[in-house]
Amino acid sequence: MIEIKNVTKSYGGKKGIENITFNVNDGEIFAFIGHNGAGKTTLIKSIVGIHGFDSGEILINGKSIKDKPEECKKEMAFVPDNPELYENMKAIDFINFICDMYEIDQKTREENIKKYAKMFEIENSLNDPINSFSHGMKQKIALISALAHNPKVLIMDEPFVGLDPKAVYDIKEIMAEMTKEGKIIFFSTHILDVAEKLCSRVAIIKKGELVKVGSMEEIKGDKSLEKVFLELEN
Amino acid sequence: MKKLLSLIKACMTENMSIFKVKTKNQSETSKKILPIVLFGLVFFSMWSYANILMESLVELHVEYILLTLFVGVTSLLTLVEGIYKSGNLLFNCKDDDLLLSLPIKKSTVLFVRMFKFYVFELLYNSLFLVPAIVVYATKVSVGISFYIVSIIAIVLLPIIPIVISCIIGFITTGISSKFKFKNIVQIVITMGIILVVFFASYNINGLIDSLAQNADSINEVITKIYYPAGAYIKLVTEFNIQDLLIFIGIHILISVVTIFILSKVYFRINSRTKAVSSRKNSNKEYKIRTNKPLNSLIKKELGRFISSPVFVTNAAFSLVLFIIACVLICVKLDSVPEILASRGMEVTVEQIQNYIPIVLFGLISFASFTSSITSSMISLEGRSFNILKSLPVKPSKIILSKIYASVAIMVPFILIGDIIFFVRFNFNIFEIIGIIIVSFILPLISETIGILVNLKYPKMDAENDSEVVKQSMSSMIAVFIGMGLTGVAIILIVMCAMFGLANYLTILIGTVVFIIIYLLLLLYLNKSSVKDFNKINV
Repeated sequence: MIEIKNVTKSYGGKKGIENITFNVNDGEIFAFIGHNGAGKTTLIKSIVGIHGFDSGEILINGKSIKDKPEECKKEMAFVPDNPELYENMKAIDFINFICDMYEIDQKTREENIKKYAKMFEIENSLNDPINSFSHGMKQKIALISALAHNPKVLIMDEPFVGLDPKAVYDIKEIMAEMTKEGKIIFFSTHILDVAEKLCSRVAIIKKGELVKVGSMEEIKGDKSLEKVFLELEN
Repeated sequence: MKKLLSLIKACMTENMSIFKVKTKNQSETSKKILPIVLFGLVFFSMWSYANILMESLVELHVEYILLTLFVGVTSLLTLVEGIYKSGNLLFNCKDDDLLLSLPIKKSTVLFVRMFKFYVFELLYNSLFLVPAIVVYATKVSVGISFYIVSIIAIVLLPIIPIVISCIIGFITTGISSKFKFKNIVQIVITMGIILVVFFASYNINGLIDSLAQNADSINEVITKIYYPAGAYIKLVTEFNIQDLLIFIGIHILISVVTIFILSKVYFRINSRTKAVSSRKNSNKEYKIRTNKPLNSLIKKELGRFISSPVFVTNAAFSLVLFIIACVLICVKLDSVPEILASRGMEVTVEQIQNYIPIVLFGLISFASFTSSITSSMISLEGRSFNILKSLPVKPSKIILSKIYASVAIMVPFILIGDIIFFVRFNFNIFEIIGIIIVSFILPLISETIGILVNLKYPKMDAENDSEVVKQSMSSMIAVFIGMGLTGVAIILIVMCAMFGLANYLTILIGTVVFIIIYLLLLLYLNKSSVKDFNKINV
């Protein structure tokens, strides 16, 4: 479970997020939506330990990201919105590097890398350097690296941007498969249709503050998620 | 013109961010003090050095030689620095796609990139030239024309070295872009050119002698060797407006013609450098290997180092010079007294042989303290720094991996130099042990300082590797600290020699002193590095 309790983060006096509180339960696909600059990436970076926060607490399966960052990170995988990977590396070397950091044994990584490389139809490019890849291919490499270590919590920032329709379909399948195993999927998105179809719960953030959180039915009632979102934004 | 000014403004805002003062809290303000103190120290050192030189020049009534010397050395440094980084500064810019899609002339884009290069060199040159000009003005009675000419000279003098280095950058990038292994070819060509320039400038005595025999005055000799220096000295000693206009005109003409000609081929070379020939690797069976986290991190750092020609050439320069110096001392020891005699130092071969271990100690200090690799390693992560921060690895391990990778690059060079000395000369066992310890400790000190400095002064938004390796606050501070530590090593050696200590005792004292320095640095590293690492937000 991810527990976010009264988290506040500012950048040099400028508010990033303020007093955010909600939980994401095991086996849930949870969407985090909001306008550009609303604070989605700030919260995601706080959850995955990329940057600290001024006050509050974030617990990953009961462990504090502040006190035990390495233990928390070991249970998570993060896919950023703009995959800034190591351009000088070959794709396979990058994936190996990430697996080394998570101390994944040879057998598990072989199985997972082969499985996801085949799924994303990128097997023949794994020996190529990342600087020769398009945005979408880099995103696929980031996804394979994230999935290769069987994370209990998968956190993604705008995961569908730049991906081809086949890859988007594959991610949805992976998400469904992971939740069946009781794993958590937490992602931010602007594509409200996807959020509406995939997610069990959703949170809407506006100008750094949480304006709504709950199950999809609670949030949208008999309206569409898009309509609810636009009403809240206005 | 409006477009050009807007473009310059946009690029310079980004490029000169290292000089911005935008901090409010105390810990951030204290970070401003170190660079100010170091820049002040360099300025003061140059001023003191200029004063000492001036004392003897006044007696000979050739005061203007001071200006010649400083202009010559500064121009040579700008040229060598420029050769390192011009290829990268001009051809590896992240804003290529944006600029090339805008309705701007090709020559304007090239001009802006060369202008950024120029502004940095102007500021850097001023650090060396202004003290010399101040000393000259205090010792010689000068009129208003001296100040006008000197200000114009400071502005114009970086132009010719920059133009030459840009042409060399075009040639090296143009040639290397035709090869599959572009980086290796570029590293080899650049290192070759730098070494040629370095040794040519070292052996310039012969050229000066032959020019002097056919010249009526020293000024004429200087002008023949390097026009800008000669023209500046002539304007200082016998000012006339016509020569000043020619001086300005030549520099402007050279800049305009160079930009015009280079812009014709700039985009062709630029697009060729971006072509990736790696597709041939497709369909090869990929290998899945398992490594320990620390080993994998070190491997990643070594890969990053090798992938950047400017990073390699910058680090390798001192190390290659170290090997060359070791070989020359071992092979041509008999000619060293002659070389030193031409510089006013009377020593015999036997005297040098007596101090061989100390000479090696000095050379190791030079090689270690003048090649800080870690001072760029955090900045070179750029936006991918977030990958490191999201990994389940302690920041201290990441920091250590960078230090170990850098030491692994440096130590083999130093050990080769050691072995050359051990084979050629007689060292006792204590000297050998001391030298080997020093060969590890000094690079460790240099690289620990480098990482500490880079964590305090990261530049995560650089346009290319050159901006980090050659033009960032971190790399400059590391160079200044390295110069200071080389000074500490030399003072230590001289003091021990003055007390008549045996070589092995001198090396022992040096080893103990530097081990203490290293332990203190380790304490500081443990205390502050993780905090600084976590503070960096990309």
